[in-house]
Amino acid sequence: MTRLSIWHLPNARAAGVLLCVLSLLLLAGCASTPRISSPERLGIPQQTSIADVPFFGQRDYQCGPAALAMVLNDSGVEIGVDALIPQLFLPNRQGSVQPEMLATARRQGRVPFVLDNDIESLLETLAAGQPVVVMQNLSLPIAPLWHYAVAIGYDLDEETIRLHTGFKPGQDMALSTFDATWARSDRWAMVALPPGDIPRGISAEAALSAISDAERVQGAVELQPSWEALVERWPGLAMGWFGLGNARYASDDQAGAADAFRFATLHDPELAAAWLNLGLTLHSLGQQQEARTALEQASALPGKWQETAATKLASLFPKETP
Amino acid sequence: MMKKLARVISPLLIAFLVLGSLPAVASVPATQANGLVSTQDALSASQVASDRERINELLAREDVQQQLLLQGVQPAEVKARVAALSDEEVSQMANQLDEMPAGASVVGALFAVFVILLVTDILGLTNVYPFVR
Repeated sequence: MTRLSIWHLPNARAAGVLLCVLSLLLLAGCASTPRISSPERLGIPQQTSIADVPFFGQRDYQCGPAALAMVLNDSGVEIGVDALIPQLFLPNRQGSVQPEMLATARRQGRVPFVLDNDIESLLETLAAGQPVVVMQNLSLPIAPLWHYAVAIGYDLDEETIRLHTGFKPGQDMALSTFDATWARSDRWAMVALPPGDIPRGISAEAALSAISDAERVQGAVELQPSWEALVERWPGLAMGWFGLGNARYASDDQAGAADAFRFATLHDPELAAAWLNLGLTLHSLGQQQEARTALEQASALPGKWQETAATKLASLFPKETP
Repeated sequence: MMKKLARVISPLLIAFLVLGSLPAVASVPATQANGLVSTQDALSASQVASDRERINELLAREDVQQQLLLQGVQPAEVKARVAALSDEEVSQMANQLDEMPAGASVVGALFAVFVILLVTDILGLTNVYPFVR
């Protein structure tokens, strides 16, 4: 090595690091505390910390199973990390992916909801006493370090969030740093709740599909409390009434099912599937006149169910020959 | 000798496992026994013919089962894991499992990355090293 390069090497390295830092600052901007509209408007307290959320320390790469075990145990499912690993872990990836976090919660009899991806939804849900699994990229996109943690509280005066994370329970982290790491997963956050509970920080459509997806795995009878809760919270949601109708029918409550289907058609007269199910339910209840009217409505609406409705109408109420 | 044997047996084994997993895929509920439209069917994209939809969904589920086997998941667990996914999640996993972030909390040990992350940790942009406050 020549004398020249020995002299220049340290300078070059220092300059390189400086350049990196500067370009990073330009690219990422400084970490700033996320904007939170006033807690009074959201109706949440300045600080909250959910007590007694069980902590499970993660093993090598198993923050997914550990995080899920914490929220499941908090919701009353007694299960350890070891039992969750074979349901959730991808050995060759040495990690767990988001869809399987949701799927595993379903297998444990819980309804997983992905919250709306903003900080207010997260804080609202925490204020309601529900611990939240969050996905963070603790590193930068160039060398990602994906991580699941469980948020259990926050303090808006101190601007911190409290996490069960990795090997440490109840860590307080600056909200600004948390939001920088959380934003890299598009602010992904999930809760796993018993049937009948719906988190606060979620839209009607998201809640609807979460309940429907859980019903697919656990069955309509199990999920009936969730449908009841859905229409109680969003009474104008036609598909909510439709789902409730199916759940009541599955629990042998045909009169209740007919009521729910009727509400669905009231809120959305174009919902052909609701008219069809209303007609079939009324028919088995013996209310033939009303059943016929409903099936006629269904077969008059263009779309996926028109053919089925017409067939049912023809077979249940054959035209009288003159 | 053992290698040769393994070379013959492993493709057969894979084929059997895949075949064995097919009936579980086919058992996705079609319509309810009472003839009512299920909530899931009513919610799924209403314009497309439902038969084609269902076939695509079955193929996607089969695809995800195979991907999970390749990821080293125990064959006995694969069926139940795929069965618990929603249609949307299945299509996500079928199309982009490789790019999907997998929560694991391990970082590559590249030195340059180490330095950058140290700086960003101090700036509060990242949270990789526990020793940075």
